[in-house]
Amino acid sequence: MALQEKKEIGKDVGFERIRRITGYLVGTMDKWNDAKKAEERDRVKHGLTR
Amino acid sequence: MTKVKTIVKRDGRTVLYDETKIASAVLKAMTAAGSEDPVAAARVANAVGDHLSVGGEDCSPTIEQIQDMVEKELMREGYTEAAKRYILYRENRTRIREGKTSLMRAIDEITNVDARLSDMKRDNANIDGNTAMGSMLQIGTTGAKAYNEHYLLTEEQRVAHHNGDIHIHDFDFYALTTTCTQIDLLRLFKDGFSTGHGFLREPQSIASYAALAAIAIQSNQNDQHGGQGVPNFDYAMAEGVGKTFAKTYVRKLTESLEDLTGALDEGDFVKELVDAVSARLGAGPRLVNAADPGSADLFDREVTGALAESGKLVFDEAARIVASSRRRAEKSTDRATYQAMEGFVHNLNTMHSRAGAQTPFSSINYGTDTSPEGRMAIRNILLATDAGLGHGETAIFPIHIFKVKEGVNYNEGDPNYDLFKLSMKVSAKRLFPNYVFLDSPFNLQYYKPGHPETEVATMGCRTRVMGNVYDPSREIAYSRGNLSFTSINLPRIALESHGDEKLFYEKLDAMMELVARQLLDRFEIQARKRVYNFPFLMGQGVWLDSEKLGPNDEVREVLKHGSLSIGFIGLAETLTALYGHHHGESEEMQQKGLAIIGHMREFCDKKAAETHLNFGLLATPAEGLSGRFIRMDQKRYGKIPGITDREYYTNSFHIPVWYNISAYDKIRLEAPYHALTNAGHISYVELDGDTANNVEAFETVVRCMHDAGVGYGSINHPVDRDPVCGYVGVIGDVCPRCGRREGESVSAEKLAELRKKYPGMPHFCGCE
Repeated sequence: MALQEKKEIGKDVGFERIRRITGYLVGTMDKWNDAKKAEERDRVKHGLTR
Repeated sequence: MTKVKTIVKRDGRTVLYDETKIASAVLKAMTAAGSEDPVAAARVANAVGDHLSVGGEDCSPTIEQIQDMVEKELMREGYTEAAKRYILYRENRTRIREGKTSLMRAIDEITNVDARLSDMKRDNANIDGNTAMGSMLQIGTTGAKAYNEHYLLTEEQRVAHHNGDIHIHDFDFYALTTTCTQIDLLRLFKDGFSTGHGFLREPQSIASYAALAAIAIQSNQNDQHGGQGVPNFDYAMAEGVGKTFAKTYVRKLTESLEDLTGALDEGDFVKELVDAVSARLGAGPRLVNAADPGSADLFDREVTGALAESGKLVFDEAARIVASSRRRAEKSTDRATYQAMEGFVHNLNTMHSRAGAQTPFSSINYGTDTSPEGRMAIRNILLATDAGLGHGETAIFPIHIFKVKEGVNYNEGDPNYDLFKLSMKVSAKRLFPNYVFLDSPFNLQYYKPGHPETEVATMGCRTRVMGNVYDPSREIAYSRGNLSFTSINLPRIALESHGDEKLFYEKLDAMMELVARQLLDRFEIQARKRVYNFPFLMGQGVWLDSEKLGPNDEVREVLKHGSLSIGFIGLAETLTALYGHHHGESEEMQQKGLAIIGHMREFCDKKAAETHLNFGLLATPAEGLSGRFIRMDQKRYGKIPGITDREYYTNSFHIPVWYNISAYDKIRLEAPYHALTNAGHISYVELDGDTANNVEAFETVVRCMHDAGVGYGSINHPVDRDPVCGYVGVIGDVCPRCGRREGESVSAEKLAELRKKYPGMPHFCGCE
């Protein structure tokens, strides 16, 4: 379908969120297993002050 | 008494009773017990028949009832050992039968459940469990695991793996192949190679070098279950860049000459002339080398002189077209290299292997080739990665590993310093490259200047194969890899030791002994394979020394260049279970942690010395494993704070991801473990916000890793993308470019308006 025929674009389309899993990346996080998803959720940022 | 006539089988069918079958099973049990006696066996079978007949003519006993009776009869007759054998046999059959049932249930789940709802189907994030080929791969995996568990493991190994004391990785491939290889592309390309479906001649341009590199990775991936690495991407691509430049130099010169003289075809003349100069100087036309600009000047002067001498044009004209030809050839080669690298990245993210279910797990190492050709390749692979895929997406493959080395690229004034800087700019945006630090003592010990094969290269996931007890003269990164690895559930050993340190070490030693034995058993299966089992890996000489073997030879000897790795998970939880807190919390715990991991390394070194096989200690990547052990341990011990109260065990020796700590302290505490885990390691630092706007912060962390003696490290930061408007960066709840929330739509007018401002915006079609 040509673009101009659509009035609204992107319904139900999510954002892609790419994170490192064990050294490599995976496409988006919806493919991660439950444990790694939980780990990613819990990750805290590391400050740069000593 | 009426003899029993029929029995009921397990599937419910009624069949004729056959006493000889009982006799034969009893005889087998007796034989296994070393008391073979056919007469006694017949007597036992008769007695069983008599007992069964008590129920009358209409009674059909079940198999289970008959087997119970056989056990009783054997015991009564005093055949205790034979009875034991019979019971063991029965239990084994029961387990296999139950295995079949759970196998069918698993296949049912793979076939019918959406991968988003099935954790089992997301065990490996790189396989799409919702597709036909992905599901077929998972069904095969499930079947192979059931077979391997029941037929290839000893009872002790089976129980340890099944109960989660240990985890045998890539268990589906237990009897089939090995893990990974660092492919030396230069050796593979020399004189061409075959994929099994056709012969590919030695490549002659950077475009072919890059295309064949992707094919080599894909082909080798089909022979192994792990990833595929290239240890020398820059050195290999440099050859292709050089060939393209040499050809382009001649072509540009030909075109300029034709323009000047009006002749139609000066091609042969120019080629002969350049070849003659090349022969005289001992090298063809090359890019200007910053370290030795004189050699390109000399070459150009010789060509100029030869052109003038030919009488086709005067000296000044000749000098002018030689200079402009060089300039144009360099520009054109640079452009060709970018396109080749762009194609390589696109290929590795779209091509499939393993029955089409997976993109190959690819890693490339580079950063130390200081030749102008190597530098051109490095710069362009970085630029192509920076640009992203067709819609600006971050490329998932290959994993890039930048080799950091003082005197080569680390300090200002080093020949590849500019490329190190560029790599950080790219990684701050795209998460790759990661960094391997050649100056860390345990990497530096192998480094010999002028011998790129002695530069430590890593698989992207972290697997590292460098030392070589089998052949100490070949301590190199090229053409080797891991054979198999098994991980130990460290927190469970700590929990089972109830704070008793001595008991912990005893249990740990016993578990490592079990794992070492299992790795050797698996090695024996792998070693008996033949070259024809690995048509590319061995048949094309990718693996070290495999070129010396014939197609029917056993691969035992050459496999010994590979590594056998003992891995672990959850040092932090282990320390908490033993002593009450983890190594991020006190210096004392750091020393306790180093003692445990140091002890494990000593064990590996001892095993290596004993067996002359490359036993090593691995800080296990643990993707599927992160949840597997802890789920089992929660069932056993409940949710113990700081130990089993989360959904995952902390990766290897890492400081827990949830623990507040500065980047500097995290690196300082984790670095010493890199020195101990010789089979592979990685440390991460999590940075906040869009690091693409703060490359300085990114660089601070990389330098901190280098100075602390980290082996392999990378920096995590959020990389989000809105597929509708193509924005790449950090997205909170609302996309900063088009203003939509997740799942909301945007008007076509608004997107058209945005496109005026961002001409590179993709056209979202809803099909990605």
